[in-house]
Amino acid sequence: MEEELQPEYGPKWSDQRVERMLGTLVVFIVGLLLALIVVVVINGWPSFAHNGLSWFGPGGNVDDQLSAISQSAETGAGYIYTFHAWPLIWSTILICGGAVVLGLVTALFISVFLTEFAPAWMSNLLRPVVRFLASVPSVIYGLLGVLVLVPFIGNHLITEHQKASVAGIISLTGYSLIAAVIVLTIMIAPLMVSIFTDALSSVKPGWLEGSLALGVNRWRTIWKIGVRAARPAIVAGTVLALARAIGESVMLAMISGSTAFAPNPADGLIFIYEPSRPLAPTIVKSVDQLSSPPAKATLFAIATFLLFSGAMFSLAGALTRRAMNKYGAA
Amino acid sequence: MESLAPDTAPSAPPPIRRLDPQDPTPAQEAVPTTATSFVAAKRSIAAPQFSIRRMEVDRVSIHYGAKAAVKGVSLPIRQGEVLALIGPSGCGKTTLLRSLNRLTELTAAARLSGSIRLDDVDIRLIEPTLLRRRVTMVFQQPNPFPMSVFDNIAYVLREQGSRRVRKKALEPQVHSALARAGLFEEVKDNLKHPALKLSGGQQQRLCIARALAAEPEVLLLDEPCSALDPQSTAVIEDLIVRLRDDVAVVIVTHNLQQAYRIADHVAFMYLGDLVEYNSATRLFNSPTQQRTAEYVSGAFG
Repeated sequence: MEEELQPEYGPKWSDQRVERMLGTLVVFIVGLLLALIVVVVINGWPSFAHNGLSWFGPGGNVDDQLSAISQSAETGAGYIYTFHAWPLIWSTILICGGAVVLGLVTALFISVFLTEFAPAWMSNLLRPVVRFLASVPSVIYGLLGVLVLVPFIGNHLITEHQKASVAGIISLTGYSLIAAVIVLTIMIAPLMVSIFTDALSSVKPGWLEGSLALGVNRWRTIWKIGVRAARPAIVAGTVLALARAIGESVMLAMISGSTAFAPNPADGLIFIYEPSRPLAPTIVKSVDQLSSPPAKATLFAIATFLLFSGAMFSLAGALTRRAMNKYGAA
Repeated sequence: MESLAPDTAPSAPPPIRRLDPQDPTPAQEAVPTTATSFVAAKRSIAAPQFSIRRMEVDRVSIHYGAKAAVKGVSLPIRQGEVLALIGPSGCGKTTLLRSLNRLTELTAAARLSGSIRLDDVDIRLIEPTLLRRRVTMVFQQPNPFPMSVFDNIAYVLREQGSRRVRKKALEPQVHSALARAGLFEEVKDNLKHPALKLSGGQQQRLCIARALAAEPEVLLLDEPCSALDPQSTAVIEDLIVRLRDDVAVVIVTHNLQQAYRIADHVAFMYLGDLVEYNSATRLFNSPTQQRTAEYVSGAFG
């Protein structure tokens, strides 16, 4: 090896050395991530291969399918893979979508208030509090949901008449779509508020001042100039919150009702009181059946689907941000 | 890019023509000349044809806490002429300018005594957003919004109306505002382009166009050229002089030569006091106050 020409006295950690070290570390981590994805996809592949596109579609009771899948390993009559995930996917869409939409609206208004209207002491007090709320472990929200919200919904909001009307199909106990959406919203909104307030307060003061000096009031200014300029960060925060919502498992397993049921909005408003179970809690619930090869494939297939959705949302977010940056907002 | 032929000191300001909405030709065409006006010579512009008193600053003092930023200043602000506020940093000229459309109220707990009147009405009696449409402001750093050139102007018009207006209906007003700021010819094919992609001088003229779109009576300019190169500065100076017939123009500037070039009246402030208010020629050539003489002597080396 050729001897490198080094200055006699240089920093011990030269820039080149740091570059090599960090580069190696990053390559290692990216490699690890790729390996993780490959492992998940390979393990989940048999489930997709057996079901084809009907994996994503409706058909039958998912809970029955899951138990048939895990028991088929012991019967010796060949593995069963039949799995139609639609009720789980639908539940994920309803709960995560509902929470993200609700969270986006609330978080936006709270952030606008905190950055533009709240007195300084209130803003200085609330912003650390919001940051703390964003880091509260989700199981605590789950506990509060089970102890407070679920009984309240079960005892006070759902009428006996409603319970009776669906008695043959499902029992309404308070573990419901609406409880899951509310608790999930409370969980992800602080994350969004914390990102949105940072974004809104870093909007160039010149833009806001320019608008105010043209006789536009503060509300219209923050809404039309501030929020508009902060849109890329708002999209980024929303994608982050969505990712957290989709991946949320423990809390949702506690509150959603954990029944593979697909609440149908066509049945009227009662659907918000019906139980369901999103994808991520399904993995938690069935994790003890991993020793059964077909069950393992099914769970990894769910994981593949979650990973893929997460990647798609990130991609969609990036494309949206790029489109919004056309006018140089960021 | 800037227009490479900055219109320079014409012997008389070209007549300002408001645009006919149906005929969006630019209101003023640069008179192509070869000479430029960067020397500190008084523009050979005609004296103001007329002057109408629009604003009256009457014994105004502004305090931030115990500190007095402006002490008992009285000034007339007239349409038909350009008023320049000059003075060293911290002399209160920007504070005074910002108090003219009550922008000071937004930032700090500034207390104002005395009165400022707009067309004989105390501005404290005018609803702030209405006041700020009648007395608009352009800042030191060009601050176009992160939108298209068109939307930058349309924003002002849309926010003024209570109903949502279609883009097509706003076109004449947007074009006319751009033309009044001498920008229309340069951007007419690029109205959908991002405003932040314009050059610094064009951005500042866009900000002036935005301020003019509100159809103000008074235009406040806070060191509008300090972030610009001499070429863009010359273009904007010509623009300011042309605007004086339509709106009362008040400009804060650190550039004494600029004040001499474009202002009809100049107010010299020092440590919050109005030391001298006079016509530009008198204030620069035969100042009555010792302090003014010392300060403006810098203008001529």
